[in-house]
This record gives sequence, structure tokens and C-alpha cells, in this order.
Amino acid sequence: MQLLLDNAHVFLGGIIQTFQLAVATLACATVVAVLIGVTSVLPFAWARLVALCYVEIFRDIPLLVTMLFVYFGAPLLGVPLSPYWAALISLTLWGGANGAEIVRGGINAVPRHQTVSAVALGLKRWEIFRYIVLPQALLPIVPPFTGLFSNLVQATTLASLVGVTEFFRIGNIIVERTTIQEGHSPAFLVYGFVLLTYFVICSLLTGLSRRLERSLQNRGGRVVRVAVKPTESV
Amino acid sequence: MAEDPLIRVRGLVKSFQGVRALDGVDFEVARGEVVVVIGQSGSGKSTLIRCLNGLVEPDDGEILVGGTAVDTHSQREWRLLRQRIGMVFQDYSLFPHLTVLRNITLAPIRTGRASPAEAEALARELLARVLLPEKADAYPGELSGGQQQRVAIARALAMRPEVMLFDEPTSALDPETIQEVLDLMRSLARDGMTMVIVSHEMGFAREVADRVVFIDRGRVVETGPPVAIFRDAREERTRAFLAKIL
Repeated sequence: MQLLLDNAHVFLGGIIQTFQLAVATLACATVVAVLIGVTSVLPFAWARLVALCYVEIFRDIPLLVTMLFVYFGAPLLGVPLSPYWAALISLTLWGGANGAEIVRGGINAVPRHQTVSAVALGLKRWEIFRYIVLPQALLPIVPPFTGLFSNLVQATTLASLVGVTEFFRIGNIIVERTTIQEGHSPAFLVYGFVLLTYFVICSLLTGLSRRLERSLQNRGGRVVRVAVKPTESV
Repeated sequence: MAEDPLIRVRGLVKSFQGVRALDGVDFEVARGEVVVVIGQSGSGKSTLIRCLNGLVEPDDGEILVGGTAVDTHSQREWRLLRQRIGMVFQDYSLFPHLTVLRNITLAPIRTGRASPAEAEALARELLARVLLPEKADAYPGELSGGQQQRVAIARALAMRPEVMLFDEPTSALDPETIQEVLDLMRSLARDGMTMVIVSHEMGFAREVADRVVFIDRGRVVETGPPVAIFRDAREERTRAFLAKIL
């Protein structure tokens, strides 16, 4: 325990880095998810094909492979990336693809007669999307999207493999340093602490998701489960 | 010179996957007229009424509204026309995330037909007319089927349409709530609203219609005043259909 207290400021630095990466990832992935998700339901076949290709590519490649590919591939294109940016870009690509499926599922969950009756009222296409489809799509989108946020926070640990000094990597460094300096490994204690911290963060997110879901249902929202392929490739 | 019919349709053809839902339909509706379209399921009556506001694009034929031919392939033209042609569906199709008041005011405000204050005043007036003045702030999920359909009618009326299209407005309702919707439609007819109604309610058709149109296999088989159609149909197919349902 003394070891954890002695290294509290180092852990704090790591957790700040983790939060920075997580928040930036969540924001960027959300933007990408909405853009690609909306593209995937446009009435143009080419647009749907672009969205489909994007989603399938980044959902079917393990996130770690994407991260290494971005980190080591970018310099070949003349754009050397810092570990942080490589992690942010690859997490965004992966989170955006998974989020896009949630957005697409949410939009498709809005019954077709809703659009038809809005058309019959003489509303424009964008007005129908803005006032009728989007608000109804948000209800089923929110709970799985919070789940995706939790996955993304967990996935930030992979950034340690390209050298980002986030929370997990800090734990790693402390274990290695203590083993070398003191001759015994505090791995169980440190990784236990890391595990507990991620558990608390993700549990809070899950709790928030449940609360949000209940609040939407209480407000008369019709929450439809959005079928999304499990994100096993983290 | 006689006034042009409000809606005139000539030689309307529409096929779905090789099956002709409409096979050269000629049809017209005069201003102030109540026309009830009857026929078996799959006879093409819903396709016809959906062609009248562009929800279904015909393969061939001509549609004139107010004497002016509609470019049936132009969605922009249809969008503007739909602001003059109200439509009520079988499944009410109210927007569940909006209050009753917002359901009614959304389209008039967005299309610029009324300011928010005007739209709200009209919506409250229409809610009183459909006997639901206390439901302005309710959500559709809190209303019965019949109440939802009455709000749907108020929503269509809020656009101050020249004609109202009803696509089987009572088919999805419980028997006890059908009457309240029919009463409302009766009162609209009395007020001179031009209406085209696809319905299986033969008693209602007999009572309210100025003209009944019988459609079978995508063609208008017979048309005439309700008395002539229900008591003295000329065509064998009309008599056979009526014999089955009356």
C-alpha cells in the first residue's frame, strides 16, 4: 500500500493522461460515428457503400493492429505521429465504426410510417430528419452508446503498447522499476489497483447508462434495443 | 363554364414488381365533394389515394390538381402540393416524442403557413373541434387509438388543406372508438370539406358520400351516388363485392 501512496503523483499523471485520451477519443469517435451512421442511411447507394466499407474494415481489424498500423504507417506517408496522436486516431477510427453501427441501428429503428406521415405533411427531407427521425433515433442510441464509451475507456489501455504513458503504462513502469530496484515484484498489488480503478470508472459509466435509460423510459421514450455485433476485437 | 375538378386523374398506371396495382384509372373529385373509394383488399384503392399526394409515384398517367397538371416525378412539386392536400393514415402516425400540440403545430410552422402563435391558436381551436381540448400537452402514447386518430385529423386540418385524403382511417381502431372518428368525419363533410376516403365502413359511405367509387383489380369498375351503387349496382363485380360485405 505504501508503494501506491509513494507513487500517487505518478499514478495521477497516468490517470490524467488516460482521461485526456478517453475524452478526446469519445468526442472524436462520436463525431465520426454520427457522420458515418447518417451516411449509411442516405438514399444514395455510393454513400451507403462508402459507409459500409469504413464500418466493416475498422470493425473487422483488431484495434491493436489498427493502432500499430497507424503508428508505424504514418511516418511512411511523411506524417510522423506521436504515440498519443496515433492512439487517438486509431481509437477514433475503431470507435467511430462501432458507433456508426449504433447510429444506423437507431435511425433504422424509427418506424417507416413516421417518415411517410411527415412527408405527407409537406415537410422537407432535412426537416423530417431533424424533427422526426433524429429525436426518435436518439432514444435507442443512447444506452448502447454509453456502453461503447465504456469499451473505449478500456481500450485506451492499448495505447500503452505504442508508448503513451497512460494509467496502465504507469502501473507497468512502477512494477518493472520496483522489481529491478527492490528485487521483488509488486505486480499483483499494482495491477490489482489498476484493475480496480478501471472497474470503478467503467462501473460509473454503466451506472450512468442505466440511469439515462430509465430516465428516457420515464419520459415516455420508446427504447428499442439496437442490434450491434459484439465489439470483441478490442 | 363549369369549374375544373379539384383533383382529376387520367389513365393512372402503377405496377409493383410486375403486378398492376392501378391499371388505367380515371377519377375525379369536385370541390366540396365527398368521395368514398371501396373495393377488396389489394384492389388498388390505397395505391390510388397515395398517388393523389405523391406518396406513390405512378408509372404513367396524369394527375391534375386545381386544373394544373402535376409533374409526378418532381418531389419538390409534390412537397408544395402536400401542404394543400391533407392525409390521414390507418395507423395514425402521430410523432410519439412530441406533445399533441407540437404534433399539430410542427408542419404549419415549418412550412411557413403560420407563425408559432397563429399555429398554436389554430391547434387549440382544432383540438376543441375534435373534442380533445384538454390533451394539448399529452403525448400520443397517453391517448386511445380513437383519440390519436382525431389528433391526426386535427394535425392534417392545421395545414388548412383544400382536400383531405383518408386511407382506411378506422381500420386499426377498436370498435368502440370507430364511431368517434366517423362522427368527426361526418362533421367535416357537413362543413363542406372536400374528402376522398378509402373505407370499409359501408354504412358511413352510404350516409356521407356524395359519390362512391368501386375499384377492382386496379380499375374503376363503377362510380355513382351511394344509393345507386348500394341498391342498384350495374356491374356484376360490384354486386358480388357488396353481397360479400353487406
